Amino acid sequence: MADAPEKEPFDRSRLTPYLFIAPAILVMFGGLVFPVLDAVYLSFFDWEIGRKFSTAPFVGFENFTRMIVDPNVWESIWVTIRFGFWTITIEVVLGVGLALMLEKPIRGASIFRTIFILPLMVSPVVVALIWRYLFDARVGWINYYLGYLGIEPQVWLGDPSLAFFAIVLTDIWQWTPFIFIIVIAGLQALPSEVLEASRIDGANWWQQIFLVKLPMIKSILVIALLMRLIDVFRALEVMYIMTGGGPGRSTELLSLHIYNRAFATQQLGYASAISVLLIVIVFLLSLAILTLNNPMRSKSDV
Amino acid sequence: MNMRRYVATLPALALGATLSLGSALANPYEKYAGETIVVSWPALSHYQNAETLVEEFMEETGIEVEIDALQYLKLRDSQLLEMSKDEGEYDVVVWVVMWKGEYVSKGLLTPLSQFYTSGSLVDPEYDIDDIADAYLQNGGVVGGKKGYLPGKSGALYGIPFGAETSILAYRKDIFEEQGLEPPATYDELRAAMAKLGEAGIPAMTSRGATGHQVTAGWLLHLAPLGGKIFDDQWNPVINSPEAVEAATVMREITQTGPNGIPSYGFSEASAAFLQGDAAMYLDTLKIAAMSRDPKLSKIDGKVGFALHPTGSRCGSETGGFAMGIPANSLKQEAAFLFIQYMTNKAGDQRMVDLGGDPIRISTLTNPENIAKFPEYPVVAEQLPCADADWRPLIPEWNELNLDVLGQALTKVITTDDPIQPIMDEANEQARAIMERAGYYAWANYRQ
Repeated sequence: MADAPEKEPFDRSRLTPYLFIAPAILVMFGGLVFPVLDAVYLSFFDWEIGRKFSTAPFVGFENFTRMIVDPNVWESIWVTIRFGFWTITIEVVLGVGLALMLEKPIRGASIFRTIFILPLMVSPVVVALIWRYLFDARVGWINYYLGYLGIEPQVWLGDPSLAFFAIVLTDIWQWTPFIFIIVIAGLQALPSEVLEASRIDGANWWQQIFLVKLPMIKSILVIALLMRLIDVFRALEVMYIMTGGGPGRSTELLSLHIYNRAFATQQLGYASAISVLLIVIVFLLSLAILTLNNPMRSKSDV
Repeated sequence: MNMRRYVATLPALALGATLSLGSALANPYEKYAGETIVVSWPALSHYQNAETLVEEFMEETGIEVEIDALQYLKLRDSQLLEMSKDEGEYDVVVWVVMWKGEYVSKGLLTPLSQFYTSGSLVDPEYDIDDIADAYLQNGGVVGGKKGYLPGKSGALYGIPFGAETSILAYRKDIFEEQGLEPPATYDELRAAMAKLGEAGIPAMTSRGATGHQVTAGWLLHLAPLGGKIFDDQWNPVINSPEAVEAATVMREITQTGPNGIPSYGFSEASAAFLQGDAAMYLDTLKIAAMSRDPKLSKIDGKVGFALHPTGSRCGSETGGFAMGIPANSLKQEAAFLFIQYMTNKAGDQRMVDLGGDPIRISTLTNPENIAKFPEYPVVAEQLPCADADWRPLIPEWNELNLDVLGQALTKVITTDDPIQPIMDEANEQARAIMERAGYYAWANYRQ
């Protein structure tokens, strides 16, 4: 009998880490993977809400072929991308700016910080209702005060471009605090030696911000950016309540479009197909951002 | 014990049994006292006023009622979900008439005939013929000609409650100031709107929000101007000259009306009139009761009522709501008793006293009511003209309403683009939907 090379005895403790993350994986499967697989499965059927699923006919890839040529889906995606672009850019600029202004312990800074965080605490439905009535053409405060400036009352929620502006504004109001909190936490964790060193080296205020501070919180900004991007594709309540997607489709983000397909026009199978498309888009975008700048891999920051 | 005494007690027992049986059925509600039924209906003023009557029902019958009130367009989502389950929570559902086709085609409602065969449930004094025919056919009968019109193949699934037709309401004071007469035809209406526009007064308020609202606004003008959505072979005719004219009228109304029509749903459009921001209101007759409600209206006492203006024909809307019983409810008999109570002669009169809208001819023509509610004679005169084919109440209507008409008409009222191409494109999209739903299968088969 040839001698088999000595093998290391199997160390059971190597399994412990997997054991500890097993519950989390189970939850993820139940709450994430399973619904996604179910959505993919549903997208191959033509199921009307109210009828039993067992009577729904199998239609193969028909929902997908219909979706690819459907101009409404692409218009909705384009609206979502434009919405994402405007809200994220302005939110990041505002959020970082506010954080930079308020990170120093100046008098009253903590009061301002509390006030600026408040919009994040309000339920999205309440936010939507408040802003809807602020923007109301007949009784809204915005038109009322614009009247003092001599501006004619605008039909904010009834005009395609004004309605888009309205939802962008509401989103900025609601989510800038999010960027603000994250950036302020990051800034306060920066080692002061680096900043002192840069000041000694003669960096002025401008250079300190853009060449020292911001690069050090880059990974935090990337995470915030990623979360906001995913949120843009998830956003539903605010649009639903403020405009319902109208006028026309000018404020119908992809998630709202899916909702309308599923419940307003009863096409659950088709809505599932569009949902699959949404998952793919978000996945690709996240992948792109993470390959450009993976916060987990960089070692040069806090 | 001897046999004779035993036999002698039998007749006494039998008599006692019959007597007790007789007294058990003395009260039709007794068997259901203590049950709780859940009602799903819209959060509109008629139903809010009905809550008092519901409390009276609970006291009189001992049946508990829980009300789930939602904004009326959101009702459908929650009702569909509830009715698709094996056992549902809702025992009474109130639907917008345009959903009746969908609900019945999916088998979600119990036909009322099932209850009308019971001797103990049906109130012999109910007098179903007294209910305005336009309301009953439009809201409750499903499966007739073309699926939604009256016809021998139709069956009754619901009783109208909060049903409506359309009338013209106008500000008597503004009209007097401007020297205008309430318009009787569409030409007179457009002339009045132009004159009010020149005087700087917002002429007519209208629904205009994308989707169901703007389509409802347009449909009000389509019927009297002689248009239809489909012809008898289900070909869409949304681009007919009459339809384009109705769209032109919508554009004129938006341009001469109060600010914000393209964002107006039903509440906003009514609020504009009730708060004094528009001179005319052409929509549901519910505006009359609303104009007398001090919580909603600033113009009580200044409102006049007239018939829906005519074009090439008279054709007012048929719409509103009807009440029925889901097939998966566990308390259908109690639900039926509830529906009967709310809509019998006493119930209808009580609704009117509480500020709601009547469904019975006897209520509309009662002289006491006419003295209190000046719009009743107008409504009674309007009802024979209510167009049963005002809107195709087919299951596909939702998609047509929201995706095709709701989008096209938004373009009509928010831009100045020529209307005919917009309606032509809408017509093509409508045809594609009908094709996908299989409406041309017979026509193609017979070719």
